[in-house]
Amino acid sequence: MKKGKNVDVLTLVILILVCSVFGGIAAVAADEKVVKFAGDLPGGDWGYPSPFGFYPRGPGYIRMSFGFDTLTWKDQNGTVIPWLADSWEMSDDGKTWTFHLHEGVKWHDGEPFTAKDVQFTFDYIKKHKTSFKWFQTLGYIDHVDIVDDHTVVIHLTEPFAPFLVDIAGNVPIIPEHIWKDVSDPVKFVGDKAVIGTGPFKLLKYNKEQGYYEWEANEEYFKGKPLVDKLISLSVNDPALALTTGDIDETSFWGRRAKAVSAFENKSGFGTRWGPSYWVLKVIFNCERYPTNLTAFRKAIAYGINRTELVELVVHGYGIPANTGLIHPDVTEWYNPDLPDYEHNVTKAIEILNALNFTDTDGDGIMEYPEGGDLEFNLITLDKFSREAELIKSQLAAVGIKINVKVMDMSTVDGILKEGNFFMVISGHGGIANPNILEKPDWPGGTCKNETYTALFKEQRETMDYKARKELVFKLQESIAENLPVYTLYHPKMCCVYRPEKLDTWFFTKGGVGIGIPIEMNKLVFIGEEEVRPAPSLAPAASASPGTTSAPTPIPTPTPEPEQPGFDVIFAITGLLAVAYLVLRRKNR
Amino acid sequence: MHRITKITGYVAIILVVLSFNFFLPRLMPGDPLSFLTGAPGMDMPIVLDEETRAKLLTYYGLDKPLSQQFYDYMLGILHGDLGWSIYHNAPVSDILIGALKWTLLLVGTSTALYMVLGILLGAISAWNRGGKSDVGLLVSLLSIGSFPPFFLGMLFIILFSVKLNLFPAFGAQTPFMGYSSLLEEASDILYHLFLPATTLVISHIGGVYLLMRNSMLNVIGEDYILTARAKGMAEWYIMRKHAMKNALLPITTMIALRTGFMIGGTILVETVFAYPGVGRLLFDAVTYRDYPLLQGAFLIITLVIIAANFVADMVYVQLDPRLRHD
Repeated sequence: MKKGKNVDVLTLVILILVCSVFGGIAAVAADEKVVKFAGDLPGGDWGYPSPFGFYPRGPGYIRMSFGFDTLTWKDQNGTVIPWLADSWEMSDDGKTWTFHLHEGVKWHDGEPFTAKDVQFTFDYIKKHKTSFKWFQTLGYIDHVDIVDDHTVVIHLTEPFAPFLVDIAGNVPIIPEHIWKDVSDPVKFVGDKAVIGTGPFKLLKYNKEQGYYEWEANEEYFKGKPLVDKLISLSVNDPALALTTGDIDETSFWGRRAKAVSAFENKSGFGTRWGPSYWVLKVIFNCERYPTNLTAFRKAIAYGINRTELVELVVHGYGIPANTGLIHPDVTEWYNPDLPDYEHNVTKAIEILNALNFTDTDGDGIMEYPEGGDLEFNLITLDKFSREAELIKSQLAAVGIKINVKVMDMSTVDGILKEGNFFMVISGHGGIANPNILEKPDWPGGTCKNETYTALFKEQRETMDYKARKELVFKLQESIAENLPVYTLYHPKMCCVYRPEKLDTWFFTKGGVGIGIPIEMNKLVFIGEEEVRPAPSLAPAASASPGTTSAPTPIPTPTPEPEQPGFDVIFAITGLLAVAYLVLRRKNR
Repeated sequence: MHRITKITGYVAIILVVLSFNFFLPRLMPGDPLSFLTGAPGMDMPIVLDEETRAKLLTYYGLDKPLSQQFYDYMLGILHGDLGWSIYHNAPVSDILIGALKWTLLLVGTSTALYMVLGILLGAISAWNRGGKSDVGLLVSLLSIGSFPPFFLGMLFIILFSVKLNLFPAFGAQTPFMGYSSLLEEASDILYHLFLPATTLVISHIGGVYLLMRNSMLNVIGEDYILTARAKGMAEWYIMRKHAMKNALLPITTMIALRTGFMIGGTILVETVFAYPGVGRLLFDAVTYRDYPLLQGAFLIITLVIIAANFVADMVYVQLDPRLRHD
C-alpha cells in the first residue's frame, strides 16, 4: 500500500511535467511580418554583426550590412547607386573623390549622421587595419577632408579604379560618437557596437545556436523595410526546414541544388537561379618539376574532362569555368575568347611525349624521362574529393598516376603556403571582381610572374573603363595561356522562398559589395520600385525528378548570457531526486 | 595515505594533459590565421600583405616564442582565464560554458535514461533467460542499437518532425520565442531535447543492456541466490536486493568511462539536430586551428572524464562494502 502511494506521487509529478511540455508551446505574436531564412553554408553563426566582429566571410558581411550602410551600393543589375552619398565627383587624376551625403540620415540611436562620421570611419579603419579584416585596399586612402556637414573629400594615394565598389561601396560607415573611445574594436561587442544607419536593428544574437534577429528601422532614410522582423537561423537541413515552414527562404548551391527540384512548380514556393561567382580550380606548383613546365600543365588541362565533372559531380548544376577565372556572367570584365582546353586525350599524350614522358614498360603509366613512374599526389579537401577522384581516373587515361590525398582546410592552407605540393584542388568566390586576378593561384603562392603583377597594378590604376577592360582581358589571357591554375567549374545557386512572406529576392549582378553572391542584398528588404526584380532566370540544369533533400552541414555553436530555463530544469531534477530520497528513507 | 596518492595522481594527469593540450594543436600544419585570411574552399579570398599578417600574429600573441606562450597559457589557467577564441572572437570560457550547458543537459538526460533503462531491461532479460521476453529484448535492443546515431536521428526527424509534426527538427530552443514564464521556457527546452536525447538513449542502451544481462547471469548462478530462494523470498525481491545490486558493479565503471567520452562524442547527433554543444565546437576549433578554444575545450573534457572517474571510484566504494576497509 505504502509503495503504491509513492508511485502515485511520482506519476503525478511526471504527468504535470509532461503536460507542461506539450501545453506550453505558446502561440506566435500578432500580425508582424516576420521573414526567417537560413543559409546553405555550414553554420548559422557568422560572428557578431558589427563591422569588426563578423567572420570575414560573405554571409558575415551580409549580416553586418543589414545594420550598416556604405557611401554607395549596388542594385540588382550591379549598377553603383547612391546610398549614404547622393552624388559624387572624381577629379581628373582619379585621386580625389568628393561625396555629397544624404541629409537627414540618423543613426539607430537618433544621433544625426554627418560628414564627420565618414572622416572618422576611414581614419579609424586605417588605424585599426588588422581589425577590419574584410578587405585590404585601404592603403589607397590617404586622408579624408570635411567640406561641410554633408560633403566629404576622400584623397587617395594613387588612382584606384574600383574605388566606387571596393571602398565606397564596401566600407561600412560607423558612428564617431560611439567608436571614438573604443581602443580594441575586435573585442567591442554589445548593443552599441551594432548602431549603424542600416535598414535593420539587431535585436538578439545567439552565438551558440547561430540565431540572429533584427527589427525594421522604421525611420530608414530609404524607406521603411518591407518586413518587420528578420530572423536568421541555423538549421541542419534547409530543404526540410522550408517544407515544415521553419524557414521562409534558403538557397542551394552546386550539387545541393538538386534539392530545388522538389520545390519547382510546387505551389507556395518560388525559385530564383543565380550564378555563385565561385570557381573550383586546380592549383599547380610552378616551382616544382614537372608541374613547373607550362606544357605539362597544358597536358593535364587537356586530360581533364570538365563537362564530365559538371555532369557527374554537380549533377549539371554548374558550367565549365572560364579559364581566365572571371565568371562569364560578369559581362563587364569576362573575356570570352580564351582557350578552354577541350578534353583531348590524344593531344595530352602528344604533349607529354614531346616532353619525353613515355610509357616505356607498357604498364599504362608514363615514365619520367629520367625513369620512374609519372606519379604524384593531388591534394584536396573532403568536400572536393569526388572531383579529385574523377580527375584521377581521367588522368589515368592519359598515363598519369594520381594519388588523391584528402586533408582538412588548415592543413591544405599550410601546404599551399609552404609550396609542398604538385597539384591542389580548391575553390573560392569573389570572381565577379577583377581584384581576384591579383593572385590567380590564391591561396597558393608558387606562381610568380612579374609582368603579370605589373599588368595587374596598371589595371587597378587605370581609370578609363575601356582601357582597364583591355588590361583585365590581358590578365585573363595570361592565366589561360600560362595556366598557373586550371579552372574547373562554376556552380549555380538557387534561392527557394515562400512568396507569401516575401517575393522580392534577387541575385545581385556581380555580387553584393565586393562580390558576395548571396541573394541578401539589403534592397531585397526595402523593395523600392526601381529595384524590383526582373523575372526569374531560367534554371539551366535539367533537374532530375524525385525529391532530394541534401543533408546539409554542420552549424556552429557557442554562447550567450543567461538561459533561465536551465535553472528550472536542474531545480526540478534536484527536487525530484530529494523527494525520491526522502520517500525512500521513510519506506525503510 | 591512499587518498593522497590518488590526489597526486589526478594532479599529475591534469598537468600532463595541460601540456598536451598546448603542444598538440601547434604540431598540426596550418595556423589560426588561415581562417582569418581566407583559406582553401572558402567563399571570399582575402589577400593579406605580410605586414598585416605580422600585426595579426602579434595581436593574438602568436609571434612570441613557444616557451613564453606556454608560460602565459599556464599562468592564464591558474587565473581562471582560458584566453580569447580567435575564430569565435569571444572569451573561451563564455563559449565553453554556452556549449557545455547544452551538452550536459543532453548527455546528462540521456545517460540517466539509458542507464536506468539498460539496467532494468538487462536484469529482466537475465532473470527470464531463454524466455520470450529475453529473446525479444535481446533481438530488438541489439538491432535498434546498431543503427548509427545519425541515421536514427534523420529517421526520427523525417518521421516525428516532418510527417507527424510532433517535435521540432532542429535547435535547442524555439528561436526568439519570448517566453512568458520560466516553466514555458523549460518545457520548450525539453520539447527540443526529446528527439536528440531519444536518439542517444537508443544508440547507447545496447551496451549497458548486454553488460547488465551478462553480469546478472553470472550473479544468478551464485549460491546466495539459491539460498534466498530457499528462504522463500519473493522473486522480485531477490532480483532487486540480491542479484541486481551485485550485478551493478561493472556497470558503474562503464558508465563513468562513457560519460566522459560522450561530452565530445555527441557530434553526430548534435549535427543532425543542429543542437548546440561541445562536439561541434570542438570540430570547428580543430578545423580552424583555434588554439585557445582547443586548449579550453580539451581541458574541460579532461576534467569531466577525471571527474566521472572520481565519481565512479566513490560510487564503487558505496556499492561494494568490501572496498571500504582498505
